[in-house]
Amino acid sequence: MTWNAFLSLLDGAGLTLLISGAGILIGVPLGFALALIRWARVPVLAPIAAVYVSLLRSTPAVTLCLLIFFAVPTLGIEIGAWTAGILTLALVTAAFNSEIWRAGLLNFPADQLEAARAFGMPAGLRLRRIIFPQLWRVSLPGLVNEATLLIKASPAIAVIGVAEITRAATRIGAQTYEPLPPMLAATGLYVAIILVLVGLQRFVEKRYGRIGAQA
Amino acid sequence: MSHGFEIVWEHSDRLVAGLVNTVVLSLLGAVLALMFGCVVAMMLMASNRVLALATQGVVDLMRCVPFLMLVYLVYYGLPQFGIDFDNWTAGLAALVLYNTAYMAEILRGIWKNLPRETIEAATAFGFQGRRLYTRIIFPQVFLAAGPMVGNQLIQIIKDTAFLTIIAVPELTQAASGIQAQYFVPFAAFIVAIFIYWALCALVEAGTFAVERLAEVRR
Amino acid sequence: MTDSETTETVLDIRGLTKSFGSNVVLDGVSLKVGKAQTVCLLGPSGSGKSTLLRCVNWLEKPDQGSVYLSGRRIGVREGGHMAMSNAELARERARIGMVFQHFNLWPHLSVIQNIVEAPIHVQRRAKDEVMAEAEILLDRVGLAAKKDDFPSRLSGGQKQRVGIARALAMKPELLLFDEPTSALDPELVGEVVAVMKKLAEGGSTMLVVTHEMSFARETADEVILMDGGRIVETGAPGAFFKNPKTERARQFLQRYVS
Repeated sequence: MTWNAFLSLLDGAGLTLLISGAGILIGVPLGFALALIRWARVPVLAPIAAVYVSLLRSTPAVTLCLLIFFAVPTLGIEIGAWTAGILTLALVTAAFNSEIWRAGLLNFPADQLEAARAFGMPAGLRLRRIIFPQLWRVSLPGLVNEATLLIKASPAIAVIGVAEITRAATRIGAQTYEPLPPMLAATGLYVAIILVLVGLQRFVEKRYGRIGAQA
Repeated sequence: MSHGFEIVWEHSDRLVAGLVNTVVLSLLGAVLALMFGCVVAMMLMASNRVLALATQGVVDLMRCVPFLMLVYLVYYGLPQFGIDFDNWTAGLAALVLYNTAYMAEILRGIWKNLPRETIEAATAFGFQGRRLYTRIIFPQVFLAAGPMVGNQLIQIIKDTAFLTIIAVPELTQAASGIQAQYFVPFAAFIVAIFIYWALCALVEAGTFAVERLAEVRR
Repeated sequence: MTDSETTETVLDIRGLTKSFGSNVVLDGVSLKVGKAQTVCLLGPSGSGKSTLLRCVNWLEKPDQGSVYLSGRRIGVREGGHMAMSNAELARERARIGMVFQHFNLWPHLSVIQNIVEAPIHVQRRAKDEVMAEAEILLDRVGLAAKKDDFPSRLSGGQKQRVGIARALAMKPELLLFDEPTSALDPELVGEVVAVMKKLAEGGSTMLVVTHEMSFARETADEVILMDGGRIVETGAPGAFFKNPKTERARQFLQRYVS
């Protein structure tokens, strides 16, 4: 494996981080919205959100990615591989994130909400001033843990040709007829990324407590 | 405009064949991983510190690797050692290898939290070695492991979809095949996704039933 | 004084010492239990009673001293100073029945399975024979109706009676009781004590750590008071409870006997 090949792996790592990061950036608030809808028992929307979460939690990222990449254009909407990749990861991680947010909401002390209501705080203000400042601390370790799982699922988007780490490694392998060295190097890159995230998780757990995190 | 569901229905035999492979791979992978996981859990719990730490290192490393990378490493790596697999077997080997680490970690976590007293009582009654593990420790570990093993089985089912990349004829591969031939992407993949959903719901129901049996035994 | 010289000695403990770090828990303890005798170990908590009991079947390894069960040394191979292997230790432990403070039943096994587990899988006895004996034992402790229940469904007193039946099923040469009634609600103590009395009268050889003074007074052949890892006083229960010889025993009795 040449130095140039390694550089293209690093490019792939950049792309993995970029696309996963974009997925997380969309998926975390989307998950929060789903959790709020279910928590507040919004009519019509709440059961839909529940079905969405259940369905997406049992859908393989590979299959979802193929669906989005091939089926969305049949609706007359053009979609590039990157966009399809980001969308896949965002939709998957939103389902898992919503469960983390929801656990935090369900465990939120009721007496605090009662107190806020007694002071005449409207719902939006209660959410912004009372719930959220505490909720995000409780949910953070779980969210970081889910980010780790998302990175591990991200090679799924290689199926539609996004040149992230895995795709870059197979390409180098195909060019050099020696697939093993680029695969090992790619594995090393993933391990490095995930170790950083695991370290981050330990840090936030220590800092904000362990509630909401799951192995 | 047709959505292609009737085409998918016409070729449902291909989906069923894919589903059978997905189920067989998942179950076989889970059972074998659980068996090897027991051995690895024993190594993790060994009183020999060097063995326990070395095993922990390998398990932690494995849990940092994306499943698809391990599939590739097995698929490309083992032939270099003169071991030649067909794709199906390579996929199963990767599933087992990968999930052994997860299962071992699940079992170890439960084992560590087992009440020490019941094990001490067994020691006092003359249990030791293999019989202590098979009669006293692992039955208690398994009774508590239901929900976590169920979760892992769902993860395994989803991971089998990665095997489409090395052309294992599982469910996603079958859906891909139908979509490539007749260009019915929406119908083909949506049907596959709903089948995955049903499979996972089945696992959850099974986990629930096992939990009710286990509840009284702890 | 007692009849321990005339009867055959089952348990012979000689000069046992045990420390945890710098904390001396047993400081040269020697005692004997004769066949069909019941010996009660009394003493304040932390006096080393439970550790002594756990040293008998090597759940704790004593630092010095020796334990003989019917003349055979436990924990150390014959003749030499070689420690026993785990398998050898397990064989010796199977000759001793133990009843625990917190019952320590195996939660994954039903009541009857708890009782037959070790006789079948450790002693390798025939299943039919062991099952038949277990039914008789369960009847003796008054739990025949509960044989297929799981421990989680039993009260503390019932659990402990199963614990006793489980120990008896091993046909042990010696029964060890480690504060068998301490974890029970007061109203459940009686049913367990009644079973233990029946055993003592029926000729079992028992070493009992207990705070249940009435049991010691009415049932024991010999009472031993421990304090600070040493034996302070030994005597027949009648003499011990009425006229203790030592100041320490007088203090102890004042505090624990109302």
